[in-house]
Order: sequence, then C-alpha cells, then structure tokens
Amino acid sequence: MSGLEKRKSTPVSRILIYVLLSIVSLFSLFPFYWMFVMATSPSSAYNSIPPTIAPGSLLIDNFKKVLDKIDFFQAMWNSFIVCSIVTIVVLFISSLAGFAFAKFKFRGKNILFTAILLTMIIPPQLGLIPQYFLISKAGFLDTLPGVMILFFLNPLGIFLMRQYISESIPDELIEAAKLDGCSNFKIYRSIVLPIILPAFATLGIIVFSAAWGEFLWQFTVLRDPEKYTIQVALAQLSNTQNVDFGMILSGVFWATVPLLIIFLLFNRLFISSITEGSVK
Amino acid sequence: MRSLKKLVAIGLSTALAFTLAACNNNEKSSSDDVENEDKQITLNFWTFGATGYEELAKEYEKENPNVKIKVRAAETAEHHDALFTALSAGSGAPDISMLEIDQLDRFKAAQDRFENLYDLGAKDIKDQYLDWKWSTGENNKRDFLIGLPTDIGPKALYYRMDVFEEAGLPTEPDEVANLISSPQAFEEAGLKVKEQTGKPFIDSIEMAFRAYLDAAEETFLNPEGELLLEEDGNAVKNAYDYAVKLNELGIVGKFEMWSPEWANAVNKGEFAAELGAGWLKGWMEGNATEAIGKWRVATLPSEFAANWGGSFIAIPKETKNAKEAYEFVEWLVSPDNQLKSFQTKGLFPSAPSVYEMDEFKNNEDEFFGGQATAPVFAKAAQDINGAIYKGEKYFPVYQEVLNALKNVQSKGADPEKEWNEAVKRAKDLLNR
Amino acid sequence: MHVESNKEKVRKKGDMSTDLVPRKKKVRKRRYRSEEKKDMISGYLYIAPFFIIFSLVGLYPALFSIYLGFQKWNGLSPMEFVGLSNFKIVLMDPLFWKSVYNTIVMGIMGTAPQLVFGIIFAFLLNLAFLKFRNFFRVTIFMPYITSMVAVALIFSVLFSDHESSLVNYLLSLAGVDPVNWSSSEWGTKMAISIMVFWRWVGYNTIIYLAGIQSIPNDLYEAATIDGANKFQQLIYITMPMLKPFIILTVFTSTVGALQLFSEPTVFLGNSAFTRDEAMTIVMYLYRDAFKLQSFGTASATAIILLVLITVFAVINTTLIAGNGRKKRGENA
Repeated sequence: MSGLEKRKSTPVSRILIYVLLSIVSLFSLFPFYWMFVMATSPSSAYNSIPPTIAPGSLLIDNFKKVLDKIDFFQAMWNSFIVCSIVTIVVLFISSLAGFAFAKFKFRGKNILFTAILLTMIIPPQLGLIPQYFLISKAGFLDTLPGVMILFFLNPLGIFLMRQYISESIPDELIEAAKLDGCSNFKIYRSIVLPIILPAFATLGIIVFSAAWGEFLWQFTVLRDPEKYTIQVALAQLSNTQNVDFGMILSGVFWATVPLLIIFLLFNRLFISSITEGSVK
Repeated sequence: MRSLKKLVAIGLSTALAFTLAACNNNEKSSSDDVENEDKQITLNFWTFGATGYEELAKEYEKENPNVKIKVRAAETAEHHDALFTALSAGSGAPDISMLEIDQLDRFKAAQDRFENLYDLGAKDIKDQYLDWKWSTGENNKRDFLIGLPTDIGPKALYYRMDVFEEAGLPTEPDEVANLISSPQAFEEAGLKVKEQTGKPFIDSIEMAFRAYLDAAEETFLNPEGELLLEEDGNAVKNAYDYAVKLNELGIVGKFEMWSPEWANAVNKGEFAAELGAGWLKGWMEGNATEAIGKWRVATLPSEFAANWGGSFIAIPKETKNAKEAYEFVEWLVSPDNQLKSFQTKGLFPSAPSVYEMDEFKNNEDEFFGGQATAPVFAKAAQDINGAIYKGEKYFPVYQEVLNALKNVQSKGADPEKEWNEAVKRAKDLLNR
Repeated sequence: MHVESNKEKVRKKGDMSTDLVPRKKKVRKRRYRSEEKKDMISGYLYIAPFFIIFSLVGLYPALFSIYLGFQKWNGLSPMEFVGLSNFKIVLMDPLFWKSVYNTIVMGIMGTAPQLVFGIIFAFLLNLAFLKFRNFFRVTIFMPYITSMVAVALIFSVLFSDHESSLVNYLLSLAGVDPVNWSSSEWGTKMAISIMVFWRWVGYNTIIYLAGIQSIPNDLYEAATIDGANKFQQLIYITMPMLKPFIILTVFTSTVGALQLFSEPTVFLGNSAFTRDEAMTIVMYLYRDAFKLQSFGTASATAIILLVLITVFAVINTTLIAGNGRKKRGENA
C-alpha cells in the first residue's frame, strides 16, 4: 500500500502540505510562545513597541513572585481534582447516553435527544444568578463539588458519542453479543468502550481544557483561598492599576503547561487506540 | 432518651443565645468582650485592585488571635458583579467588601442589604476623614452610612519635564502650577507644546472630557434618577464642549489610557501632560521604567481640582459578626494604616491627619526626580468641594457621552449631532 | 414500536425462566421481545444521569429566565410583572438589531470557515506519510488551551490602532492604510473574527479527527487501488463518511457563533459594553443584566436568542444533512 501511495502523491504536493502545516503551527504556537517570553521578562517589556519577542532572564524571578502572592500548587491541585472528576463523569454520562441514543430503541428517543440539544442553547451568562442561588441554597457554596456540578451537564458530549458510536459500531456486532448472552452494560463495557477510545480522547481533552480555563463560575462559587482553582488564584495576581505583566503571565504560563501535558496524554490514548496498520 | 432531650434543649438554647448575641451586637457589654476572647471568628473580605490589605489583615490577626481574615482579590468589574450576584441571591456575600466609588450608588440603592455603619459606631470617627469623601458614603438623608472611606484619587497635572523644556515652558512644579492656573492658561500651554514640539499636550479625549467633568458636583443624573443632560448649563455638556474645543485646537492625542501605545508614549514622552489621579504614580513607577526622572507633578487649576476613583469598605447585612467586622474595618482605614497603604501600594489617604505626618510629607519620589509629590495631591484633595452624586447608571451613561467624543475625534463627526445621539441613547438606558 | 411494546406487556410474565431452555421458534420470538424490553429500560437508564443532573441544576435557571422575561427586576428589589413590555423594549431597540447583525456577520467570517479548514486540517493530519504528526496535532490545538488572558493581550498588541502595530505594518507593506481595529465598523469585526477562527479551528479539527477514525480503512484502500488521488478521497470518501460529525459541528458552531461572548469582550477590554461595532447578542444581554441591572430585558433577549438559535440551527443542520441523505444505518 505504501508503494502505491508514493506514486500517487508527488514530492511537490507533499512539500506544500508540510509548508502549510508549518505555517499553521507557527500561528497557533505564537501566542503560547509569547506567553513564555512575557513570563521571562520585566513588566515593561509588555508595553514595548515593537513587541519583545526574545525570552528574557526573569524566568525564576517572575515565578517566585507568583509563589509569594498565591498558593500556586494548591490551586493547581484543586483545578486538577475538579477537572479530572468532571472529565471522568462527563465521559461516563456521555458515552452511556450516546450508546443508548445510537443503538437502543425506546419511546420518545428523538424528542429526548432534541431536548438535550436544546439545553445547549441557553446562554450561560444569564443562568449565573439562578445557578448561584441553587448552589448556595444546597449548601455547595465555596466547595469544589459546587464548582463541578455545573460542568457535568455536557450535551455536546452526548451528541459526539452518539455520532461516534452509531458510525463506528456496526449493529451486527451488538446483535451478536446479545446472542452470546451479553447484558447491555457488558456490551457497553467490553465492546463499546474499547472502540470509542478516540472519541474519549477527543471529548476528554475538550472537557478538561474547558473546565480548566473557565473563570466566572468558579470565581463566583469559591471564597476560601485554600479552595481556589487555578483561574481564581491567578485572578489574585492581576489588578487594574498596578500591573506586573511579567508576574501575571508567568502564572498564566505555568498554569497552562499541565494542560499541555494532559493533551499529550490524551493524544497518546488517541494514537494508541488506533492499530498500527489502520492509519492511512 | 432523656439525655437526648436534654442535649437538644441545651443545643437549642445555645443557638438562641448566639442569635440573640448577634442581634444585640450594638449594645456591647464588657462580658461580651470577655466571651469573644475564646470565640474564633472568620471574616471574609473581598477586595479589588492592589490594596496590600492581605498584609494588613495578617497584622490584625496577630493582634487579635480570635479573628481570622480571608482576603479575596479580583478585577474591579468581576469583584462588583460577584458581590451583586451574592446580594441578589441573598446568600454567600462576604462579611466585608470594598466598593468602588463609581459603583457605589447601585449598592446604595439596596442599602437594606448592608449594615448601617452609624449603628456600629462610625459617628465617632467621622472627623478623621475628608468631608466630601465621608458624605459620599452616606445616603441622601445622611442617616445611613454604607462604607468607611479608604483611598481617594485627587487629580494633579503630571507633565514631562523634557517636553515642557523643548516647548519653552517652565519645568519646576511650582512655576508650572503658577503658569497653568486657569483653563485658559492650560490651553495656551497646550498650543505652545504643539507648535514647538509637534506633540499633543494631553494623551486622550477622555482626559480632556474629564478635566471639567470630574470637578462637577451635579453631572448626569439627580437623586430622583432624572437625566440632567438636556438642562441648560449642564456640567457634562460644558465638559463635552471643552473637550471638543481642545480637540479642535489639535492638542489632544489618541493614546487611550492603559493601551500599549499609551504606555509606550508615557515611557517615550510622546505627549506632554496627563491629568492623572494619585494612583497613576504607582503604575508609572512599575511600568514606565524608561521615563525615570522625566515626569513631575504640579497642582491643577482650581477649576479642575477633582477626585477620580477611590473606594469604601462596607459590611453586607448577611454577616454574623458585624461588630468584629466593623472593628477590623475601622482599624484598617485608620490614619496610621492609611499611611502604610500609601507607602506600600500608593493608595492615597482620605484622612487629612496623614498629610501632616513626616513620612508622608517628606517622602521623596525617585521616579519623579526626587520631588515630594504627596503634598501636591494632598493639596488637591483638600481643594475639592463637595460630594458628587453619580447615580446607579453613572458609568453606562458616561460611556455613551465618551463614545460621542471618540467619534468626534476619530471619525470627524459633528459634535452636536453626536451629543444629541448620546443623549438619546442615555435616555434609552434609563428606561430599562 | 408503540404497538410492539404494548404486546410485550402481555407477554412479559415468565420470560426469564423459559428463556433458559430454548424452545424453537416461539421462544425465539419471545426472547426477541424481551430483548426489546430490556433495551428500552437500558435506554432510559443510560440517559437518566444527564436528565437527573439537568433537572437539578439546569431546569430551574431555564424556567427562571423565562419567568424573568415578563418581569421588571433590578436584581435586588422586588419583581414587577410587566407583560410583554420587555420584549417590546428589546425588539424596538436599534442596538439589539445591530447586535444581531454583528453576531451573524462575525459568525460568517469567524466561525463558518473553521468548519471548512477543520476538515482539511483533519484530513491532512491523518495522511499516512505525514511525519511529526503528533507535533502538528498538538500545535493546532494549542490556541484552544492557551489562556484567554494571554490571547487577549497578544491580539490587542497585534491589532492595535497604531500605524506601528504589527498587522497595520504588514498592511502598509501591501499599500493598505492603517486600520482602526478597536472602533471601526469592519476593523473590529475582522480582528475578532480572526481571533475566533484562530481559537476554535483546532477544536473542530480534533472532532473531525475523531470522526475520521470511525471511517473503515478498506474504503481508502479500495479507492487507492482504483487510482483515486488524495483530493478525490477527501471529496468522495472522507466528506460523506464524516457527515454525522459535520452535522454535529455545524450544530455546535451555530450555537457557539450566536452565543459569541468572550472573544469580543476580552479583545475590546474597557470599551466592550459601550460601543456597538462588535456588540453581540449575548454581550447585549450581559450588558442589560450586569451593567444596567435590567434582568427583565436581559431575559427577554435570551428568549429571543433561543428562538433565533433554534431557527438557525434547524436551517443549517438540515441544509447539511439534507444534501445527500445519510449512508449508514443511523436515525438522525
């Protein structure tokens, strides 16, 4: 097969593809790189025109200032807990519901599915006050579960899982398993789960990063510095008039690095779930 | 069974006693104080901006081992929105919260959600603070105090010595103040800078607008919520016309405050002067490192003497420890601690006794070439006349008028037409 | 299906015991029925967690917003019933219609192209000969995880109004006059659309990548043997097989585009809620609620937005789905 392919794609078109992807990568990476530059520079570098584009020498100094002001690692840990639980719960709920919508027949299925999609279209900004009201009445104010519960609602996850499961798992496979006497949950566990790992990886990284980067809700719920998630802790660094950009972006940068690692882990799951030969 | 009943009874009565104690905290008795010694109390304190209150809170905890203070900081808008959300839902508000002066009136409108600090003993310390600042924290009837004064933002003329010199203007603060002693002289100096250096005199049209606006006592709205913009001699219209005039003279730049270009211009001296409040100094010291020794501060013409910014500290009604919260706040804004906040974070004191302290008066600012700038701002603070009524929707209405000015400057739009449209939009805002 | 499930009720007794001993045709049929019954129960059971959580934290806010749409409320004082007046205020407000227009324009400029490029990138990233595949995959997703703070800062530097800003400088090389990115009608929209595109294209790409994984390989192998080139494979295999995922992204992007909020807000900074060049519907709504304390009109706006989103989502997804019916057994 590779022999055939080599004949098909000329070197020129391959080079073009590499050039295109490299340019895209450059654009995608630049702000991240710039974040690093700022994290290593004095505050005044942010305002310099033309912009500073070479890293400075304050990598450690800036980060030390961050550590002086906030309990950085505690906040990272809290965010990690919140995001991990949210991701696991969302993956579980979504794959189970996606499986049901893709492969089972039950009354009102389409209406229920539409209802789930409809929940996506309520603008989150408006829900803030009633949601806050609920959480506070339930006694979840200033707790990490109070932060998490809102993220458990993820219609996109169900949608994605439904599409993926109905595409990638043939009905015959499920029928066959049933004939072998598998319970539905057993089918879910031992047939569906292994096949949908790429979708898991995709949804996992999306859910994890979204929860990691969200600020407004977490800020509204949390009060106690020991419970701060990283975004709320980072907000302690910034202030309107006396801004130390070097310090702020140092915090922001180091708070993004774990996300990158998480992405690489999920990416590994994504890759490993595809058998060697099947990659074209 | 019996012992259980007893337990419940004891529990209930203790709870009752606690509630009663919380209700009666105005009439404090000496026995109360003794009890408080062992009672551990946690106070949540929400702040915004760089206040340095975390350090002061730690100091307070050391002196009062039974009190623990948790300080949460945020950006201005997020801080006030979160407080608003908590007050609206009726739970989760902090024990203590900062309120910014421009946001104050929307919270004053809901004064039943806050403790009246007059009930907690604030009358006794009234004399320590500037009158106009204190009365800004009162309601219209002046029998309810929502917050104790923290910092203020007296305005002064920040100017670039090198640019003034190039323009043939004096460079020493006293000479500058003497020369630029009226709006008329202000314009003339601006024209001179423009002719001699080609640089704009002030940075942006917003600052031109604020020149008169910040000094006016009656601006957009009256306490009845009526829009005043269409009245004859309205101060906002005057400020607007003045900004238009300065713009026509060509002495207004296009450096919007806080933008990178603006910061760069402050560093490089691309404009000559800034009508800035006291807190701008802190920003300059941290972010205008190329301009060390180039800026000076002089007193503004009395027509422009005004306050820009500053805060209050309030105690939401939800708190169970109003008395302890008040004691902390009173301590936090005491003249001695205002001096500390000034020294560490540049928060300008609202207690005039600080202005007489040596550490304050003689503090030479390296950034300003060794000039002792504090007395300049102190003078400005004492020149301010009365409290300014802003109204619940001050900021949105202000923005509408500012937009009109920006359109005049950047698109060359007709000032009268823009003004009328801004008034129309402002009316629409108030109808909601 | 309804009829069948009714019949089932009659037969359900004794199914379990008899199932164990296969008894020819009749039993088989009965067994089939019981499977169906089980499937139904499983179906409800498996979707239950979502609905339970929704009824706990999602339903009340939704109903509350609808209720608020008919009230005048500043967030602190008691509410006052005002009938349809909030809707009247919003629908008569030229600024509301401007925000609808802005939202749609930026949706077309910033969101729609993501879908096209997302598919192309996903296809390229899945090519067999591609080296550094993982590297490209990571970088293309980086904007999604880059902190909004950093994104806002850098875009305000790149797209600042000054002649010396990077983008204006590049434009001047091409002989174009400097653009006022923060307050001109098209400048702001362009800058924000580019930011939206930049930030979300990787997100759609990885969804498509997952979709591509669900396409059986033999299809490509057969096509390669038949002599189809990469472009033809993209058009005739990848695109049609990706349809369920395209429907998904069209739906989510429509919703996302009409709810555009964070990018314009951080890009515009202080002037976000005060100027109309890039005010979106959700910004309009947010301004009503948190800047003007008018929760009634904000909720009315949300209800109108709900209708708008539904209409657009239905139109867009049926346009995509309708064009060439689905290929594989799947009820859309």
